[in-house]
Order: sequence, then C-alpha cells, then structure tokens
Amino acid sequence: MALSDADVQKRIKHMMAFIEQEAIEKAEQIDAKAEEEFNIEKGRLVQTQRLKIIEYYEKKEKQIEQQKKIQMSTMKSQARLKLLQVQNDLVSELLNEAKLRLIRIVADPGVYQEMLYKLVLQGLFRLLEPEVIIRCRQQDYILVEGVVRQAIPQYNTVSKKHVNVHLDVEMHLSMNSMGGVEVYSCDQKIKVSNTLESRLDLLAHQKMAEIRRTLFGANPNRKFLI
Amino acid sequence: MASQSQGIQQLLQAEKRAAEKVADARKRKARRLKQAKEEAQMEVEQYRREREVEFQSKQQAAMGSQGNLSAEVEQATRRQVQGMQSSQQKHRERVLAQLLGMVCDVRPQVHPNYRIAA
Repeated sequence: MALSDADVQKRIKHMMAFIEQEAIEKAEQIDAKAEEEFNIEKGRLVQTQRLKIIEYYEKKEKQIEQQKKIQMSTMKSQARLKLLQVQNDLVSELLNEAKLRLIRIVADPGVYQEMLYKLVLQGLFRLLEPEVIIRCRQQDYILVEGVVRQAIPQYNTVSKKHVNVHLDVEMHLSMNSMGGVEVYSCDQKIKVSNTLESRLDLLAHQKMAEIRRTLFGANPNRKFLI
Repeated sequence: MASQSQGIQQLLQAEKRAAEKVADARKRKARRLKQAKEEAQMEVEQYRREREVEFQSKQQAAMGSQGNLSAEVEQATRRQVQGMQSSQQKHRERVLAQLLGMVCDVRPQVHPNYRIAA
C-alpha cells in the first residue's frame, strides 16, 4: 500500500492549490500587461490625432489673418482709386468751365477777329507751304476771308515766301465748335489744327501736371520732385 | 480505486478553472485595449471641439474688426475727398485765368531755325 487516502487527498489539495496559484499569477500578469498596453495605445492615438487637429486649426487661423490682410489691402486700393477718380472729375469740371468761359470771351467780335488773324498767320508760319487750304466754321467764313487778306502780306514780309490761300467751301468746322481755323497743306496731308478746342486741349494736356499741383497741392509720394 | 478517479477529477476541474481564469484575464485585456481606442477617441473629440470654439471666436473677432476698419478707411477717404474739393474751389480761378490766358495768347512766329533762302 503506497499512500493512505488522507495523504493522497493532501497531495491532491496541494496540487490544486498550485494550479490555482499559477492561474492567478498568470492572470495578474495578463492584467498588468493589459494596463500597460492600454496606456501606450491610448497615448499614441491621442497624440497623433491631436497633432493633426493642431495643424489643421493653425492653418485655418493663419488663413483668417491672410484674409484680413487681403481685405485691408483691397480696401486701401479702392480708396486710392476713388481719390484718383475724384481728382479726375474735378479736373474735368474745371476744363469744362474753361470751355464755357472761352466761348464767352470769343463772343466779342473784335476780340475774335484779332484772334483769328493771329491763328491764321500762325498756321501759315507753321506750314511754310506755297499752297494752303483753310477750313473754318460756316458762320466765320466772311470774317476769315477778311483776316486772310490781312495775313498774307504779313506772311510775305516775315517769311519772304509767297502763299496761295484757298478757303474750303466744301467742308466746314462744326457749327458747335468754339471757333478758330484748321490750316492744311494743299494735298491735305499736313494739318495745323488751330481751333480753340485744339488749343485748349493741347494746353490742358501739357500743363496737366502743373494744374494738378496747383489745384491739389504737391504729391507727397514723390521723393525726387524738385 | 474510486478515490483515484475522484482525485483526477478534482485535478481536472482545477485545471479547468485555472484555464478559465486565464481566459477571463485575456478577455479583459482585449476589452481594455478596445477601451483605449474609445477613450482616446473621446478625448480627441473633446479637444477638437475646444479648438473649434476657439477658432469660431477668432473668426468672429476678425469679422468684427473688419467692419471697423472699413468704416475707418471710408471716413478717411471722405475727408480726403472733401479736402480735394475745397482745394479745387480755392485755386480754380487762378488755374482758369492762366489757362485761358495762354489759349488766347497766340504768337505767330516762324520757327527759330528757319533760314530765309537768299
């Protein structure tokens, strides 16, 4: 007989306890590992997602800044353009007034005649052509005829040249024109435009910088203007 | 020997219970890892909501200041326009006089380089 029943039972009980103990330890190991892996995994996931979110919102917030700057710049550009437009309008208004006053000035026939004489003479001097065509307003025709008769001798004296002046009867300057003459070479390829409109436009153009300076003051943005 | 098989039964049962314990632990571990994903997701969502709120308030602030800025610019522009208009009023007579004077001052001359052919 090897062992008594009691001994066997004791042995068995030991073995059972051992088995149980091993299981408990193994379970604890697994739990500990689970906790560790839980923390690592959660931390990793949170970190990567957070970074993405941060990047996303930083970009969007930068876009807001950029939008602001763009809008500000656009506003300033528009304001500048508006000012230029106002400047332009004011100058136009002034030139219109000049036109009206000019019309009033030449309403005086004496003044107008004197001016026509000089305009015709100036036209002749500019061309220095032997044959010349003069075009004027229909209502000025007779006046210009007279003036031409006076101008020719003066032209001869100063330039020592002869000239044959034809008055254009087929075409006239518009009735609404302010006055003056157009002087052409005989083939009409060279033209001296001595109408009042032309003179005013030419002058306004050439004097535009000065006009603007007088009306609005010097431009503060120019560094090298004397 | 009935007691022999009884003992073996007891041992087998103990083994079975032990295996169950370990299996339970493994199940717990799997659940814990799934929890990791869920909790991470929640935290991340929370953070994202915070950032969204922050962003919205920044955007509102920007739009508000935009309105102010545009009003300022408009006001400055209006002032400048008024300045230009009054300046033009002040100086226009002088400019008109100069301009008209030059238009009416016709000087018929030959070109200074003109040589009279002998």
